[in-house]
Amino acid sequence: MKEVMEEAVLLFLLLVIYTPDAQGTRYSPPGKPELTRCRSPEKETFTCWWKPGSDGGLPTTHALYYRKENSDTIYECSDYHTAGENSCFFNKNDTSIWVNYNITVVASNALGSTFSDPVDIDVVYIVKPNPPEKVTVTVMELKEWPFLRVSWEPPHKADTRSGWITLIYELRVKLEGDDEWEMHLAGQQKLFNIFSLRSGGTYHVQVRCKPDHGFWSEWSSTSHIEIPDYLHREKSMWILIAVFSAFIFLILTWSLHMSSHRSLKHCILPPVPGPKIKGFDKQLLKNGKSEDLLRVLVVSDFPPTTPSNYEDMLVEYLEVYVPQEQEVLLEESKDLHDSCLKFEGSTSDNDSGRVSCDSHTLLMDKCGEAKEEGRQTDQEDSTTEAEAQGQQKDWDQDTLMYANGDILSPEKSSGRVKTWPSVFSPLPQYTLSLPDQTSSLEMAKQHCYSDSLFCPGSTSSYLTHLGNNDNETLGPGSWEICLSNRQPYSHIPQMQTCQQVRSHSDVNISTIARKQEPAGLPLPFFRPTAYVEVQRFDEEDMVVLQSIVSDHGFHEGFPQMLQQEDYSKVKGVDSNNMLLLQTEAMKEDGDGTTPHKPTAHIHTVVSTQDEMAQPASGYVDTATIFTLPTY
Amino acid sequence: MLGYIRSVPAVWRVLVCLVFCRNLTSIGAAPICTNAQTGCQALSLANLFDRVIQHSARMHGISNDLHSEFEQYFLPSKNQIGRVSRNCHTSTILTPNGKENAQRMAREELTEVILKLLMAWRDPLWRFHQGMAHNHDFNNFSSNKALEMSDMVHELRKGVEKVADKMQMLGIISNSVSSQVSPEALLPSDSAEWHLMRDYDLLYCFRRDSNKVQNYLKILKCRIVPEHGC
Repeated sequence: MKEVMEEAVLLFLLLVIYTPDAQGTRYSPPGKPELTRCRSPEKETFTCWWKPGSDGGLPTTHALYYRKENSDTIYECSDYHTAGENSCFFNKNDTSIWVNYNITVVASNALGSTFSDPVDIDVVYIVKPNPPEKVTVTVMELKEWPFLRVSWEPPHKADTRSGWITLIYELRVKLEGDDEWEMHLAGQQKLFNIFSLRSGGTYHVQVRCKPDHGFWSEWSSTSHIEIPDYLHREKSMWILIAVFSAFIFLILTWSLHMSSHRSLKHCILPPVPGPKIKGFDKQLLKNGKSEDLLRVLVVSDFPPTTPSNYEDMLVEYLEVYVPQEQEVLLEESKDLHDSCLKFEGSTSDNDSGRVSCDSHTLLMDKCGEAKEEGRQTDQEDSTTEAEAQGQQKDWDQDTLMYANGDILSPEKSSGRVKTWPSVFSPLPQYTLSLPDQTSSLEMAKQHCYSDSLFCPGSTSSYLTHLGNNDNETLGPGSWEICLSNRQPYSHIPQMQTCQQVRSHSDVNISTIARKQEPAGLPLPFFRPTAYVEVQRFDEEDMVVLQSIVSDHGFHEGFPQMLQQEDYSKVKGVDSNNMLLLQTEAMKEDGDGTTPHKPTAHIHTVVSTQDEMAQPASGYVDTATIFTLPTY
Repeated sequence: MLGYIRSVPAVWRVLVCLVFCRNLTSIGAAPICTNAQTGCQALSLANLFDRVIQHSARMHGISNDLHSEFEQYFLPSKNQIGRVSRNCHTSTILTPNGKENAQRMAREELTEVILKLLMAWRDPLWRFHQGMAHNHDFNNFSSNKALEMSDMVHELRKGVEKVADKMQMLGIISNSVSSQVSPEALLPSDSAEWHLMRDYDLLYCFRRDSNKVQNYLKILKCRIVPEHGC
């Protein structure tokens, strides 16, 4: 017990002893004060504030000393109280503008004094004015639209009237409850209008100012203003809403009405017309049996027995038919035929879509094009020709022969060509009733005639590459033309002689090679306008041409011209066994191998190997030679 | 007919030219009329003052920019001991250092002070620009600013001279203002002083002097033509 008491007393004594030491014995000179800032409100006086350091345990006093530029006199601050504690106020007499002040604060206590770091200031650059005064905000109206007019005055201390200070102003606006202010820079003016207002709200407005080179003042006290409600301004909005809702209502009722009558769908999405072919069963197509299809598509009365309009046939045409050995091709390209035939059948139906012919055959394209309402323009013809030519993969393009266009003189050929469409007009009449496939193919082929001479080899294999006269080998640059035997024109016995045709780049006419399987040559009819129609083919590979005007019979025999009338005269046959026809009065001539003579005669290529190079002095409009079937 | 057509556009061109030429001659090159003679477009004194004040404000802005650049790149510490001993070569010119002093000063005196200041800075700024152009420490931007500053001093002086002439013409100030202040009289006898001035000191001094010029011009304007912006 006694020990405990003694310890407690000892502890207490220790405490008493040591605590005063912690406070009292550590006296030191004051800590270093620091000049925090100096400001001038109007560029005529200024104030400096400092922060004292530690006082070192002893009462410390602070003093501010300054020195002006280019002077060694040290002045002490004369006013420590006006601006509050730890401040020095420089009055007007002590303030010089554009003069550098070197200011130091000294803290001193009994133990010593400590100098602060000196600060250089020029009053011009430390100006921070007071906030603008007498801020007034009023609501004004411009054409029934309200706006705020804010006006203020510069702080009374800043002398802007004499031009000593120039102030620029800035104000900010916000709706009551908003977080963000809308800032507006007002420049030197003391009036400002704010337009973007919401009716029925309370706005807060504040203004502040700044000299040219200085600091922004504090914001003025907030001015509150309430905008009255402007319902009339929003009338237009209500009208808009009403109209919009009425519109929506109308649409809803209409759609309901429509849907109830199940005609909405028809209104918006009219049904797509399906293909319609007279007497054609769509199911056949879907079944994909081409034979049945062919049978269906074949027209019985094709070709028409009576020529409808001779007058329409302004051009003659060569009917090319399938040679025997080309029948394989026939089989292969049945689809083309089908498409061609289909195309025929569909011309009568407005609704049906156009069957697109296979692209790899020349005439199939033309087939499609030619069927175009039975009408074609010149341009179309030439374009189809061009297309067909371009698409000719199988055929050597150089050897491609056209009934018109490139080969012949454009004018004449185009003239011819024009008439051709009319050839097709009666086409729809006859459809598919050929007894056998071949003839149907012929028909199709004939349909496929547009401007070109030949039908693609598919349907008729009319154009084939023939290498040699003997129709055996197809060499490059030779075409085989088979004249098809058509009923109305078949003056020629049932023989299809496809004559081999050699084509050249400057070819005029392709010679016709003989075909083995005569299917009956439809003879071209003769036109009074100096056309020649091929009457027949001989077994000797002769083209018997007949002028249109006089309906002579043919005579067999040699590749002669039969006519005295002017018709296409054969200029000659060139080396590639091409029959060059020329529009002139023809004479009977002898051998086709004779070179071109001015007297018109048509040489038919007897033997294809004969080189009958005929200079092409003129040209023959192949259109004249090749007649299109009139259906 | 063709000749007539061709001549029409020519006539038209001439007409257009006349119209425009007349407009052109009426604008631009009109001199400030010493007398109020007809056909001479005279600018009002307030207008003239506004122009020179704007010019001086721009000049001060450029000098401020250059000074800040220098301070930022060449003098890391702002409060250097020894700055007080800086001596601008224009310190010999007596300038009012306060509002009362400036307002107490007569208009002629104030105008003359402005002109003296502007005259004193013409050559130093030119040399400063030359030094900057050859010194690769400074980028082109600063060099261009220095050149612009030097040009502006020259232009401003001419402007202020015009203002003084106008004021004299209007009888606002007496004719004691001499605009032919010789530059040599302004410099200290030892003209090598401003050669030795460092670039930074030069910029500091010029910044201050341009501020003075701007302020004095404003005081003059608000004293003489206080209608707008005072």
